[in-house]
Amino acid sequence: MDAMDLIVTAVKTAIIYIGMVQVVPIMLIVERRGAALIQDRPGPNRVGPFGLFQPIADVIKMMMKEVTIPRQVNKALYLLGPFLVLFPASLVIAALPFGDFFTLFDKNYPIQVANIDVGILYVLAIGSLGIYGILFGGWASNNKFSLIGAMRSSSQIISYEIPLGLAACSAVVWYGSFSLREMVLTQEGTLFGMLPNWGIFYQPLGFLLFFIAAFAETNRLPFDLPESEAELVAGFHTEYGAMDFGTFFMAEYMNMATMSGLMVAMYFGGWHLPWVSDATLLQWLGSRNLLAALQVLTVVVKIAFFMLVFVWVRWTIPRFRFDQLMRLAWKNLIPIGLFNLVATALILYFKGAA
Amino acid sequence: MEAFLPVGFLLIFALLLCIGLFTVKRLLGPRNPVAAKLAVYECGVTPEGSARAPFKTAFYLIAVLFLLFDVEAAFFFPWALVYRESLAQGPALLIAMLVYMSLLVLGLVYIFRKDCLKLN
Repeated sequence: MDAMDLIVTAVKTAIIYIGMVQVVPIMLIVERRGAALIQDRPGPNRVGPFGLFQPIADVIKMMMKEVTIPRQVNKALYLLGPFLVLFPASLVIAALPFGDFFTLFDKNYPIQVANIDVGILYVLAIGSLGIYGILFGGWASNNKFSLIGAMRSSSQIISYEIPLGLAACSAVVWYGSFSLREMVLTQEGTLFGMLPNWGIFYQPLGFLLFFIAAFAETNRLPFDLPESEAELVAGFHTEYGAMDFGTFFMAEYMNMATMSGLMVAMYFGGWHLPWVSDATLLQWLGSRNLLAALQVLTVVVKIAFFMLVFVWVRWTIPRFRFDQLMRLAWKNLIPIGLFNLVATALILYFKGAA
Repeated sequence: MEAFLPVGFLLIFALLLCIGLFTVKRLLGPRNPVAAKLAVYECGVTPEGSARAPFKTAFYLIAVLFLLFDVEAAFFFPWALVYRESLAQGPALLIAMLVYMSLLVLGLVYIFRKDCLKLN
């Protein structure tokens, strides 16, 4: 690896990271307008054309707000909390594949921050670190609502980590690799000549588990018990205001994007377009870098679709009760996850034997 | 190890973003601390007792159970990686997994029977 490689890698990382941070302002407007659409009201439409500048106004407002540090808090942990959530949320995007590779100065670079061969393990490991920020923030706030919110949040996130891990494990069994990139590469082509050869057709149960657990992991409705405003004011971030609150928000949206990216890579063919192989596309487009751009666009569109599903579900399904939530995880999802793992192994075995 | 180098870049960028956000909110926000503003937020009611109240044991139980099950699930990952390739050498790994899985399921049934997850 020479200096040129280092520079290209750094610039590539910066571009991908900035792109992922852009999810936050985009989702701010999409979520608010989406909520308005579903609830049959206009929503924010005053700032700029169609209210498109609303996120800018929101961010400026959040930054100009007074920074209050309540008297009772444990100051160091209180200030650290939001960043401990944002930091892992930023790091997990490293393993997400956005495309095959692009060519620059006769060299190929993968369109992915780091082509790690233990991709899915890395995501699971770093992703679950975010819980510390929530727990620190909630505990340090020294507020009953915050503490209960943090307690709920931690037990919810750790409970849903198991079905998430089991679903990912089944996918690993199926693809025979930890690398998200390899998973995407095996999903090229068609199945029975008509369906795209995507993971969802091999792992439907696994996808369902992953999908449900993703909602719980990102604290989104219908599983947003940690911040259920009807019971806990705002849950673990009750005592947070201004940009600290905004930081929790950023982390939530970035986590959503990561989860969507994982679902796209593992179950929806990643950068592959259905029914068209990469080789054919390369012939049509004629250039490797054009193909790379198309692949990135494909992944972005697929991720955007899942982000819309997140918004759609949020305003459609009412919130669970906490004991229902726990029962769902332990009595339904974990046994289903174990079943899925055994079923995948057995199917592979009999497929191989036949 | 070289594959992890870009993660280092990402680490630096993420740190920069965090520091940036922290300074920006410090610089831009006004400062006007009033006693009422800095009080515990409890919807306007005077706070009663300490916030560091004891919590339900069920949360602790869930944490312990998570530890057990997550470690058990973690043992599946190395197995998952080699399973596909091991199929050529017969069902040894499949049987090993089924035995291990049955132990796991036994544990799960046990915690259901003991009603460890009673939160209401």
